[in-house]
Amino acid sequence: MVLRAGRGTFLVHRRAAVVAGALAVLLAVTCVAYLCVGENFVSPGEVIKVILGQPSPDELVVGTLRLPRMVVGLLVGAAFGVAGALIQTVARNPLASPDIIGISQGASAVTVGAMTFGVSSYTVLPYLSVVGGILAAGLVYVFAWRGGLHATRFVLIGIGFAIALRSVTQLFLTKGDYLVAQQAQIWMTGSLNGRGWNEVSVLGWVLLAMVPAVLWAARAQRTAGMDDDTAIALGVRLGRVRLGLVVVGVVLASVATGTAGPVDFVALLAPQIARRMTRTAQIPLLCSALLGAFIVVFGDLLARRLLSPTELPVGVLTAAVGAPYLIWLLVRGRTGSSSGGGTA
Amino acid sequence: MSRLAARGLTLAYDDRVVVEELELAVPDGQVTVIVGPNACGKSTTLRALGRLLKPRGGAVLLDGVELARIPTKKIAQAIGLLPQSPVAPEAITVADLVARGRQPHQSWWQQWSEADEKAVSDAMERTDVASLAERSVDELSGGQRQRVWIAMALAQETDLLLLDEPTTFLDIAHQVEVLDLVRQLNHERGRTVVAVLHDLNQAARYADHLVAMKAGRVVAEGHPKEIVTAELVREVFGLEAVVVPDPVTGSPLVVPGTPWAAPGM
Repeated sequence: MVLRAGRGTFLVHRRAAVVAGALAVLLAVTCVAYLCVGENFVSPGEVIKVILGQPSPDELVVGTLRLPRMVVGLLVGAAFGVAGALIQTVARNPLASPDIIGISQGASAVTVGAMTFGVSSYTVLPYLSVVGGILAAGLVYVFAWRGGLHATRFVLIGIGFAIALRSVTQLFLTKGDYLVAQQAQIWMTGSLNGRGWNEVSVLGWVLLAMVPAVLWAARAQRTAGMDDDTAIALGVRLGRVRLGLVVVGVVLASVATGTAGPVDFVALLAPQIARRMTRTAQIPLLCSALLGAFIVVFGDLLARRLLSPTELPVGVLTAAVGAPYLIWLLVRGRTGSSSGGGTA
Repeated sequence: MSRLAARGLTLAYDDRVVVEELELAVPDGQVTVIVGPNACGKSTTLRALGRLLKPRGGAVLLDGVELARIPTKKIAQAIGLLPQSPVAPEAITVADLVARGRQPHQSWWQQWSEADEKAVSDAMERTDVASLAERSVDELSGGQRQRVWIAMALAQETDLLLLDEPTTFLDIAHQVEVLDLVRQLNHERGRTVVAVLHDLNQAARYADHLVAMKAGRVVAEGHPKEIVTAELVREVFGLEAVVVPDPVTGSPLVVPGTPWAAPGM
């Protein structure tokens, strides 16, 4: 499907557009439900009033407590969804998500390290997290580079780094103060607990700054699934494109990790589900973002209410869904690699 | 006339020199076929002509300008290239893959034009893959897939087309089909084609200009009828053979010498 805007023409996949619309509606409904449900139930009418800024007796509960937490969930989920999509595209492997190949672990190691050295500000931690994520990704990239970027080597080295960096985090946890360690532990499961407008603004600015890069990536990733020779024949410098896509993905994953902790499996799940829904050759970024946001917000809704009054970290929920999927992916990969991997 | 030429071209992988001081002028509007034994540097030469490999020495010139000085997208508007084993994005449809051939003619704000539409449907028609448009490339047969890749290269609408062993992995009927298509394109659209082929007889049948290489050098070049002789086959491939006129086309046909047989038979 072709969209025309002035002299510009844009290619839009019809099915992807329909799926994106449906996901947006689903997400909106989930958001309203998220704001209604809690210790005290608030009617959808009141929730919408609060969102529109009209006076309401539920202003405090909805507007101050639930809304900012939900917005953080939306942004974090969308960032993870896009990050996973980009990194999976470059690695040509559904396993290659930032939480599997060491990027989240790098972000965690630096963040937990900083926590044990007394940094507790939620406005500083996301930036440190980005530094950690980029460092980890850079190391993986350098070690995986042998005159070119080989996808399987990239994933395997990433998994190796993930394990090593997790140990570093553990080291910080055992060395650090026990209260800090407990706080860090909760952060590491991935939690939206206690997140508010401060986190929204940090995250929001970073994500806003990334919008042009993501728009570029949406088109650039079209050629990323090809081999180097074919891409060059089409006039695309694939090495640069891949590097660019990885950098965008890493920044998104790291800033999300820095805000909510490594909410596991969102970046792994969202892109693959999105792709199965749209049946497109490349992973649809918008659908992936919407799905990521849905998984986190819906997950956090369940996490808040499931064992009420105890609030679970959302990462526990996403892990409960994601871990079986990961196992399925690995089992299927072993049996199906000859048919799927041969031509891919 | 030749738009594409190699001047003193030296190519190497790491420290191993594969092609040395090669001079080659690709005749415009003709089908040039490069042949030679395994590891003679024919595919390496083709890769360099398509800027997939940087020369160690010398240069490849497009319209007199060194390839290294032309932006890769600009080159892609003039030279189409089909690598030996191209990789398609997973689960991509035929129509989508052929459409990727339009990449060098597009930009971020100009993602699809009428020219794109026309080039893609034209390319699919010519290669007879229009009926497969919505199928996934993964599930096609080898012959179909090769036609789809050629369609992508055609959709690029370049005057020059480089093909690296386009018939490998194909059975004989599909080989002939692909080569006929190449010839037809050359004839009807005046496209310049350079192909690397394994089969000397096919090369002699389809080439207007044959280039025989051995150990990184051009041993002979010219029209197949003029250069394919028993001596050349012996020199290039180290094979004793008889060269007779092809009963169908009259082009030289290489028939290898007596096969090994058990003594006393």
